[in-house]
Amino acid sequence: MIKKILEKKKTWIQIAQVVLAAIILEAASFFQINLLVKSSRREAALKANSVLSTTEYEIRDVIDEAEQAVRSNMWIVQWCMDNPDSLMSVTRRIVEDTPSVVGSAVALVPGYNKDLPFFAPYAHSVNGEIEELSLATDKYNYPVHEWFIEPLETGMGCWSEPYMDTGGGNILMTTYSRPVNDPHNVTAAIMTADVSLEWLSQHVGKVNIYPQAFSILLSQKGKVLMGPADSLKMSFTVQDWEKSSFDQESFDKLKSEMLAGKRGVITLHTPTGITYVHYGPVSRTGWSMAVVIPDREVYKDVRRIGIICAILQILALAMLIYILFSVARSWMEYQQTKDIEEKMESELQIGRDIQMSMIPKPLPGREDLDIAAVIVPAKQVGGDLYDYYIRDNKLIFCIGDVSGKGVPASLVMTVTRSLFRNVSAQEDDPARIVTDINHSLMDNMSENEMFVTFFCGVLDLQNGLLRYCNAGHNAPFLLTDHIEELHVAPNLPLGVLEGMVYEGQETSLRYDDALYLYTDGVSEAEDPDHQLFGLERTEAVLHQRRSAQGHLDAMREAIEAFVQDAPQSDDITMLFIHYLNDNTQPAIMARHLILHNNIQQIPQLAEFVETIAEEKNLDQAMAMSLNLALEEAVTNVILYAYPDGIDGLVDIEAYIHDDCLEFIISDSGKPFDPTAAPEADVTLGVEERSIGGLGIYLVRNIMDTVSYRYENGKNILVMIKKI
Amino acid sequence: MEVFIEKENNVTTARFVGRLDTPASQEVSQSIEPILNDPTGTIVLDCKEMSYISSSGLRIFLTIRKAAAAKGGNVIVKDINNDIRQVFMMTGFLNLFEIQ
Repeated sequence: MIKKILEKKKTWIQIAQVVLAAIILEAASFFQINLLVKSSRREAALKANSVLSTTEYEIRDVIDEAEQAVRSNMWIVQWCMDNPDSLMSVTRRIVEDTPSVVGSAVALVPGYNKDLPFFAPYAHSVNGEIEELSLATDKYNYPVHEWFIEPLETGMGCWSEPYMDTGGGNILMTTYSRPVNDPHNVTAAIMTADVSLEWLSQHVGKVNIYPQAFSILLSQKGKVLMGPADSLKMSFTVQDWEKSSFDQESFDKLKSEMLAGKRGVITLHTPTGITYVHYGPVSRTGWSMAVVIPDREVYKDVRRIGIICAILQILALAMLIYILFSVARSWMEYQQTKDIEEKMESELQIGRDIQMSMIPKPLPGREDLDIAAVIVPAKQVGGDLYDYYIRDNKLIFCIGDVSGKGVPASLVMTVTRSLFRNVSAQEDDPARIVTDINHSLMDNMSENEMFVTFFCGVLDLQNGLLRYCNAGHNAPFLLTDHIEELHVAPNLPLGVLEGMVYEGQETSLRYDDALYLYTDGVSEAEDPDHQLFGLERTEAVLHQRRSAQGHLDAMREAIEAFVQDAPQSDDITMLFIHYLNDNTQPAIMARHLILHNNIQQIPQLAEFVETIAEEKNLDQAMAMSLNLALEEAVTNVILYAYPDGIDGLVDIEAYIHDDCLEFIISDSGKPFDPTAAPEADVTLGVEERSIGGLGIYLVRNIMDTVSYRYENGKNILVMIKKI
Repeated sequence: MEVFIEKENNVTTARFVGRLDTPASQEVSQSIEPILNDPTGTIVLDCKEMSYISSSGLRIFLTIRKAAAAKGGNVIVKDINNDIRQVFMMTGFLNLFEIQ
């Protein structure tokens, strides 16, 4: 089935459409993901800037705090300059009061105090305890340290580069140092506050926005004040950072921008992907801060969502394609079933059409006959047929059932029906009709094994004589004063035996007798329990007195009521003939007499005429007149038509009509027109009267019409006498 | 068809019994030879028992009538039934014979 679907060009087009739809869907989703990535990047930038500002503020807070601590104690230092021993308490208070400051010193400018050329009390916090010590040792030698020299030279407060204070706090720190002037504006001492970078990185600049993102704080000279754990070493400078696999050009730019205290963002390309670096200065310190965000971090979630979405979409598409195929398959199956059904339906229709085209036209209304017929085709048409027509005042009828069903049966039915029409057109003996049909059918049907049960009847409407011949068909019902099955010889059906000579039978119908013919679709109609309709039910319907059509309608109703919902398995065909001619006298009677040209046979003619006169109840005078006319005409032939000694025949036909008698006298003798002979003059006297001419004179006087013709070597004299 | 001929005095009577059709006429034409040989006096043709007559029968009657006329005889047709009378009338024979 699937293969078959794939073989169709249309299917491929549909598959292409599905694929296109999938591409569009994926493209839409890609576009969406892309938008998400972009917005994530924007968000990342915002976050980075926010981290930058926050960190800057936090650092500035720390710085402000440290600077503030120094500034706010400067006056005490100035004031204590005369009593340097109290300076230690100042540094101690600064460390105690300022959380961000881990150490504080007041280092006297050497030589300012003559008594104390080197004096530098220092307090710092060690594990929460304040320790006091002096930086004015030989080992430390404070005046050489940067934190002391730079403010002394610039006269301004400044922040040192980060350094490991081995002499003081032994921690990585940066120091704010500021000169303290005496009232004479002479620099007397340098005052400091140490900020632990460890503390700083613990308290500020937490970049929690992405797991792999981090921030870096650079000093003025490019030393890392704050950064990933590994970089928190004095030796780790930007040059070291440089060693990471950034592309050189971008990194150089970043470095110079940062050291120049500029603000911005730069994209670095690394083997693991793009990295964004947002950077900006930390005011007043000369430091620069950078937030480093690897691009893949930014859209990691988005990418995960994207992948999940893509997988879901592919699953959905797969399902969609499966559904499409299923629908296509069931549609094709439906189409095939439908095609088969339609084909069957059209075959059935053909069979039905053939059958229905064979139905004879209804007879014009007659007083001597009530006839009705019906054929109810089954869904799968059988080969039932019936036919009837009137010829020579005879009803010629038949009913039959072709074995098998469908179009083949219909065709055999058609042939049988045509044969019936052809044969019965020239033959009114049912036995010979059936024999002839069988003969022709055997020629046509030798190959298939079909046969036809057939009943043919010829009903003489004048006298009710029913001649019939049965060829294996159901015996019809004969309805007289009681109901019985017509006695039929169980002959073989048509199409079985070549050369079969069928025997006819006959019976006589009287006024009001009827004949009911049917096919086995009636008797074998089944109810849902497979019970047969049977003959008893048939008979029960026939008991009621009805018109021919009424009987058939009643029978149909009875069958329908009996079978209920059971499907009709065979054609139902019925023919009902009600004989209604109560005239015992035939309308036309033919009598035939053949005489030799022997005058001694004239008495036979007299008898012939006498019989006709009796049948027609003619009076004596009329009978004698007819006798006389016929004798004169026939005598004429006997005596004069043939030469002496030659045997010849005179043919006398008599037709008895309702209102007249018709005699036709023919002979094969020499042509002679008696009507042209001279007539006797009946007005003459005895002496003048001739002996001849009286005969024809009598014929003319007795008969109403006398006509002569010579045809096919015969003298034909037609005489008509009205009665 | 039978013909009985009797002669009594001057009266000859021919009694026809049966049907005087064509074959019968052929026989009768011989039976009536005595009358034709002596067609004198009164000739009575008794048709009381004659049921039928054809043109050949009529010709026999006419032959007798002609013979009688030649010899001065008188022919009487007696007791013809109505049917035969019709034929006589039709053929004008009523005028040729004296019908009783």
